[in-house]
Amino acid sequence: MTTITTGLNPPPAGIAPSTSRRMRSIRLALVGVGVLLLAWGAFVLFDSVRLTRIPGVALWIVAAIVLHDAILAPIVFAFGIALRRVGRRVTGTVIAIVQGAIVVGSIVSLIAVPTMVAKNFAPANATVLPLNYGLNLAIFWLVLALTTVGLSVWAFLRWQSPVTTFPDDSGR
Amino acid sequence: MYEAQRALASPVRNPRMATVIGRLLGAAFLICFGTGLYSHFLQEPLDWMRFATRPEFLYQVTQGTHIVAGIACFPLLLAKLYIVFPALFAFPPVRGLVHFLERASIALFVGASLVQITIGLLNTYQWYPWPFPFRQVHFALGWVLIGLLVIHIGVKLPVITRYWSKDSPGSDHLEDAVSNNRASNAEAVRLWGSTRPGGVTGRVLDYIDATPRSRTRVSRRGFLVTIGVATTAVVGLTAGQTFTPLNAVNLFGPRKKGVGQQGVPVNRTSEQAKVADAAMAAGWTLTVAVAGTERSFTRSELLALPQTEVQLPIACVEGWSQMAYWRGVRLSDLADLMSADPDTSFRLISLEERGSFSKTEMGREYVRDPLTLVALELNGETLDLEHGYPARMIAPGRPGVLQTKWLSRIEAI
Repeated sequence: MTTITTGLNPPPAGIAPSTSRRMRSIRLALVGVGVLLLAWGAFVLFDSVRLTRIPGVALWIVAAIVLHDAILAPIVFAFGIALRRVGRRVTGTVIAIVQGAIVVGSIVSLIAVPTMVAKNFAPANATVLPLNYGLNLAIFWLVLALTTVGLSVWAFLRWQSPVTTFPDDSGR
Repeated sequence: MYEAQRALASPVRNPRMATVIGRLLGAAFLICFGTGLYSHFLQEPLDWMRFATRPEFLYQVTQGTHIVAGIACFPLLLAKLYIVFPALFAFPPVRGLVHFLERASIALFVGASLVQITIGLLNTYQWYPWPFPFRQVHFALGWVLIGLLVIHIGVKLPVITRYWSKDSPGSDHLEDAVSNNRASNAEAVRLWGSTRPGGVTGRVLDYIDATPRSRTRVSRRGFLVTIGVATTAVVGLTAGQTFTPLNAVNLFGPRKKGVGQQGVPVNRTSEQAKVADAAMAAGWTLTVAVAGTERSFTRSELLALPQTEVQLPIACVEGWSQMAYWRGVRLSDLADLMSADPDTSFRLISLEERGSFSKTEMGREYVRDPLTLVALELNGETLDLEHGYPARMIAPGRPGVLQTKWLSRIEAI
């Protein structure tokens, strides 16, 4: 069976045998220590959490993988494709700025939205979640949008103007 | 599988990026683990353990850092997963037992990391929508994750060293990573006649192929800047609950400095602890028991003893903290009054009858610290019921859950 090499699993470089022997023993030691720590973690889990609760932990771990790999990552991928197609006439820098802003906004929302949800469930007391998180998030997006427009216009004028060319951005 | 990897290829998805972001994420994990262990052992010390009482804001910093590093993990972990996502479609999926174990360990690493930072975040506002106990699972997963991190470093060490710095041997050939992918496309055509399945899948892939590729340099820089800005944003806009200079931009922190009775946030309320009646009762006394001798102090008797004012933060395991002025009786004065041995540790008992911190222990280093008080006043006023009236403990460098409120009894161990 042919193994296709991707950038993430590069072929081993020509390393001198002595280095590679040392590398091998360091790797074995790391994996050994890691397995011990992992085993200790598993022991602590089974020792301190009732057995009937363990499936709940496993379910959450599996759900997290599915949520990321099957839902979040494909959405991000589709977004990237859509944005590059929509912006095919625009310089790469502008696309990168818009893309970056969407990512920043999404990540901040990821942190902020749960606070809005939790606030609806009557927090333990009035000093927990005291802020108006919805309003703050709206303000954040507004500032982000204005900044993005400003930066995009600047980048557009700088890189798309027919008069000036910047060699450092011309090639891959 | 192969088509998926090719479609997902991007200048950002290369081993040098994985190393750069991986280092930061690994550092954040280590910081979380170290500060987490410190907090754990403060609450459940082993017999021989003694702790530093200075600087008095030590726990505020370690636990604030724990939360900040945990929040920084959100953008960093998502970035790392974005970079390595094509590896999910490795082909063949399993090349043997070792490869299977490696992939299984990575799956567990990804899932457990996502769960760990999520439950940690939600715990900072006491929201528990999961079917297991938070403290125990968060602690156990901490060990699991550190183990998986060490294994992961061991497995990937050749890649890490090859791409460690800009001048490392691998970094020169980064362009190959993407073009390699394209080149092996040609190889696949030769092997299988065509790379392209027919039907809907083929059309979707054609659509993806027709999309303009982003420029290498722009997209790499853009990616790093984006992750940098996102990390700065989530940290900067929440850390004000711990670190005063950021208070003005605390937009999303679950606590706000100065918000609470007498300007101090509250964790456990008198209602939750069911102590209001006992705490407000006229006959309340604080009993101090040392070596068979017991003495009970009314609040006015405590007020008649020499009073000390200290400035100490109350710092919670949930990451927030608040500097405040406390006034009351030095614990060491009370201990001397009862002729306690200087090496004595104390047990602190609250009026609260249930709750995991209603009875706690205090090591001698805190008992004898001149800043440790049986506090009767807070910020110039009589202690509010929610802050532990009639009397509470306040000591330097300890988590809030150990700053026992509604004190009832202090006994030498």
